[in-house]
Amino acid sequence: MTRGAGTAVRVVLLVVLLLPAALIVTGSLRRLGLPAPSGLELLPADPSLSSYRDLAQRVPVGLLLRNSLVVTGIAVPLTLLVASWAGFALTQLGERQRRFALGAAITLLLVPLPMLWVARFVLYLRLGLLDTLVPLIAPALAATTPFTVLLAYRAFRRIPATQWEAARLEGASAWQTWRRIGLPQVKATTTAIAAIAFVFHWGNYLDALLYAQYEDVRTLPVGLAELIELDASDQPVVFAAAVLLALPALLGLLVVQRTLLSTTDRAAADMD
Amino acid sequence: MTSRLAVEGLGHRHAGSGTWALRDLTLAVEPGQVLAVVGPSGSGKTTLLRLVCGLLRPTEGRVLLDGVDAAAVPPERRPVAMVFQGYALFPHLTVRDNIAFGLAVRRVPRAQRRARVDEVAATLRVDGLLDRLPVELSGGERQRVALARALVRDPRVFCLDEPLSSLDPVLRVEARRALSALLRADGRSAVYVTHDQAEATTVGDQVAVLREGQLEQVATPRELYARPATSFVARFVGTPPMSLLPAAALDVPARADVLVGVRAEDVHVGAGKPYVVREVEEHGHEQLLALDVGGIDLVARVPLVMNVRVGETVLAQVNPVRIRLYDGATGRLLP
Repeated sequence: MTRGAGTAVRVVLLVVLLLPAALIVTGSLRRLGLPAPSGLELLPADPSLSSYRDLAQRVPVGLLLRNSLVVTGIAVPLTLLVASWAGFALTQLGERQRRFALGAAITLLLVPLPMLWVARFVLYLRLGLLDTLVPLIAPALAATTPFTVLLAYRAFRRIPATQWEAARLEGASAWQTWRRIGLPQVKATTTAIAAIAFVFHWGNYLDALLYAQYEDVRTLPVGLAELIELDASDQPVVFAAAVLLALPALLGLLVVQRTLLSTTDRAAADMD
Repeated sequence: MTSRLAVEGLGHRHAGSGTWALRDLTLAVEPGQVLAVVGPSGSGKTTLLRLVCGLLRPTEGRVLLDGVDAAAVPPERRPVAMVFQGYALFPHLTVRDNIAFGLAVRRVPRAQRRARVDEVAATLRVDGLLDRLPVELSGGERQRVALARALVRDPRVFCLDEPLSSLDPVLRVEARRALSALLRADGRSAVYVTHDQAEATTVGDQVAVLREGQLEQVATPRELYARPATSFVARFVGTPPMSLLPAAALDVPARADVLVGVRAEDVHVGAGKPYVVREVEEHGHEQLLALDVGGIDLVARVPLVMNVRVGETVLAQVNPVRIRLYDGATGRLLP
């Protein structure tokens, strides 16, 4: 492919991917009370922030935002720790135990989540944890999804085994080996796991709907979902909610993109 | 005198496959000595090192360090340092942090750590590289950093796994000399694993030849060359190795199944029986002739001035005093 054609393809891709996002942002700036636009409207004739003000009156944005931040603020680091420890531990196991553990992780990936709904509901109910934020954070104790464990394992496995042995001979404990030798060599993967965990917990609509119905513990996805019932002339409010939901994710991505796209993990594995 | 390191009846069996990687090995290394361990891949060399430094537990037998059974001593408490094949440097740490790693995890005070690293780095001429990352080093520099990391804990015994295998041939000779001196300094001892018999005989005071987990022979390089204890050692050691031929082919009076081992320098060319030259290999100041003896090669070492071509017939005879006889069935050297 020529360079010009490559650039053209990239531009097309970018437009296809970004257009919906752009329409949501511009749509949220449309003045309230006007009839819905008949076609695509790239920029409203008379932009206004009135939809955001209206949003704040309809739903307790501050409370929703606080709950969502609490959940992700705890669940994301917790996922990172559990996934990283589990992935690291897998590299330290003997061949046979490792195969068993990996098989188990992959089997768990195949279990459809709805199968767990009832069991979890009963569990949280018995523990008295229904209608608290705990059920929303709890999946992080199991690394959110076995996928994050497999990702961490694959990253750690690229580090030659002799490095673990060298560390052990020097007297490093399992903790020190993970912290000083393993973790610094898998930064890109760790960031990727953080991104996966954030996306899951920030947008965790189902768990919130099932286990956290009480007004005080609602999170953004559940709170904002109610707006679907608004009528077409209030569409800018729905768009404003969408922007509110997407904004932290975008900001987070900006912060970590450098690490995410870096080749640190690969360089480390290539050297030996 | 108690040996610095001794292994007695040492054996290790793979937990998974149940095969023995090493079996019934008894060896000793004295202070200030280097034991070179040589053998083809899969002969159990690396397993021996891992047992000595404590990364593996023996299935049977014992490892003795200065006369004390090491079974109860964890790897980090043994006075043993390991240089891994490929060096296993930590790629994300600077040379200084690589060398200081063991001191850091043992919480040695920072100032003391610094002084010790500086001292060791100077010994190994890596003091100019302390702020670099391993990727920024040449092969020879990496090797010296790995040695420095091993040396920093002041070990009594060095375990080295193919320490020169990732260096280019020119550098290898130089590194081998430097290594030889360092390993013996201050009464230290070393177990030096290599698959290269020439390297083993140059570095080792004693050379142990392993094959499929069993000891074939342990001897000084000179003894190993002059009297290989088995036909395997005879075929493995020396450049070129011994030629092994059936007794009848060389008219040696012995049982029919006896193999006769002949060093290339013990074949005299110029008199004797006629043989066809199958191959000529020039080596600087000398050449090696492969003579066809009933379909088997008898290698002779002759001066370069002798003008011989492939296909010619030359007269040759074997010095009968210098030959070794091996049992055809067991491969053992016959008295």
